[in-house]
Amino acid sequence: MKTEVRVRGKDFTGYRIVGAIAALLLALVFAWQLFELFDDDNLTVPEVRWGAAGDDSGVAGVLADDLITARSRLQDERYRTGPAPDGEVPANALGNEIFLTDEPLPRDTTLTRSWAMLDEDTGQMLQERQRVVGRSSLPYANAELFERPFARDWRLGLADFATHLGAIAIIGFSLLLALILAIRGRVPILEGRAHRTVKRFNLFERATHWMTSFSFIMLAITGVSIAYGDTLIRPFGDELLGATGWISTWGHPIFAPPFALGIVFMAVMWTMRNLPSRLDLHWLSKGGGFFSDDGHNPPARKFNAGQKLIFWSAILGGITMVLSGLTLMFPYYWLDLEGMSWAMLIHAILGVLLIAIFIGHIYIGTVGMQGAFWAMWGGNVDRNWAKEHHELWLAEIEDGKQGKA
Amino acid sequence: MARVKFLCDTDRCIECNACATVCKNEHEVPWGMVRRRVVTINDGEPDEKSIAISCMHCTDAPCVAVCPVSTLYQTDLGIVLHDKDTCIGCGYCFYACPFGAPQYPRASLFGSRGVMDKCTFCAGGPEENGSEAEFRKYGRNRIAEGKLPICAEVCSTRALLAGDGDTIGEIYRERVIHRGYGAGAWGWKTAYYPENET
Repeated sequence: MKTEVRVRGKDFTGYRIVGAIAALLLALVFAWQLFELFDDDNLTVPEVRWGAAGDDSGVAGVLADDLITARSRLQDERYRTGPAPDGEVPANALGNEIFLTDEPLPRDTTLTRSWAMLDEDTGQMLQERQRVVGRSSLPYANAELFERPFARDWRLGLADFATHLGAIAIIGFSLLLALILAIRGRVPILEGRAHRTVKRFNLFERATHWMTSFSFIMLAITGVSIAYGDTLIRPFGDELLGATGWISTWGHPIFAPPFALGIVFMAVMWTMRNLPSRLDLHWLSKGGGFFSDDGHNPPARKFNAGQKLIFWSAILGGITMVLSGLTLMFPYYWLDLEGMSWAMLIHAILGVLLIAIFIGHIYIGTVGMQGAFWAMWGGNVDRNWAKEHHELWLAEIEDGKQGKA
Repeated sequence: MARVKFLCDTDRCIECNACATVCKNEHEVPWGMVRRRVVTINDGEPDEKSIAISCMHCTDAPCVAVCPVSTLYQTDLGIVLHDKDTCIGCGYCFYACPFGAPQYPRASLFGSRGVMDKCTFCAGGPEENGSEAEFRKYGRNRIAEGKLPICAEVCSTRALLAGDGDTIGEIYRERVIHRGYGAGAWGWKTAYYPENET
């Protein structure tokens, strides 16, 4: 179908300026994030220093050292340490007096690195690193576990992999979209508005969409403030971080039921129209006509291949998020500790990826494409928009109407 | 500077559970939670061994690294402490802990997790050392009194050693030389020497 081109993406100057500013800011954030990837702050370092009560000189760590070491020697064989009168008994072995205080310690990796250094004597007495589970006479969940080295890998998976991957995916994809807006502009209605509309989504579809999207955004905000609170909120104080953490912990499960319900409704309403077809390959091979304003958008039915991908991300991603989230809310209900660890990793990694994907969805549904937003807001779209982006669907409903008439 | 550690001599531990009991008593640990427990491996076999385990106060502690709020922190003695006022009960430290140390009361969030509790190496928490508030949340602060964890000090066979890592390592090595055998320091590689591959 040949279209007469009246509006081009480049004509949206205001949008493109905003896009350029956003791209600049996001590029800075992205650069900072790349730096974070390689800096050395993943090591746990001590934050508190022991000192002597009533001593401000700062060298009182020596006292803590003396106290602990002298007391440790008491555990040696009795004939060496007492309580025989000739034994060496430290003066501070008795009584309830407080000797030590604690105070903040500036960040420094030296101590942690020195602790991790293995001397030869100690090296010879180390047991192999292995998973050890025995039995315990104590009636507590998980009491029979002695050691699971996997936990250290889990820490890398969550604190390094998921966190950095998520930040790079979210910021990187936003940067890409801002650049597209700056360079390409909006995807226009090439012929301009027809000022005649066709019905695209009914009230129930729209209500479901907005319920799900609102829940998703709230879940994303609460989730991000838990996952990235240390970076985003902690600079404003530990108290605020604790408060935000509590609100997020409660908010997260509160928005989960409407989200799950929305996923179910959308699956029922839209699955049939989102099954893959041969048209999708053609659509994808043309990039959906996204990058050119030549009037040759590939044809699509009600949902094009891009929308189908978003649909299946929402359905499959949403179901996985809900199931893993439920697993985490009810510890030991059907999975053991290892199973729950994997559920947590999957929940974290998929969560940040879904946020990145749906930033793309929000972009194309609002500033990215002229006329797209009204499909979900009022339910009606401009006829020219429908003709250019969903010509088969438009033909379908108009033929249907004529048939009825 | 001393770096504190726990060492359980499995050739001496007789699974009396005195460490677990005295810990609950000393710190008035609530029902349903236990900061130290005894695990028996190869139960009933000739090579049966018992090991007392709690938080090991790891080097490069994974729990501190994954904590999404500022609850967990480490002191320059190596002791890993927690702040019950900021904990949100997310459970990350529990998944990241190689020794299953963090415990959660069944209190909130649909009855699943309350505020985390774990072994403090008898060193209390962020409150003023020796204060009533500190005792109610974390138990007694024996370190500030110049003492060692009660579990080790109460151990009747001296199987469980606590304190400066070099000192208790030396005690253990002398003991092994004296008696001619020793199963080694269980869990130390995972807890204290994370970068040394097996």
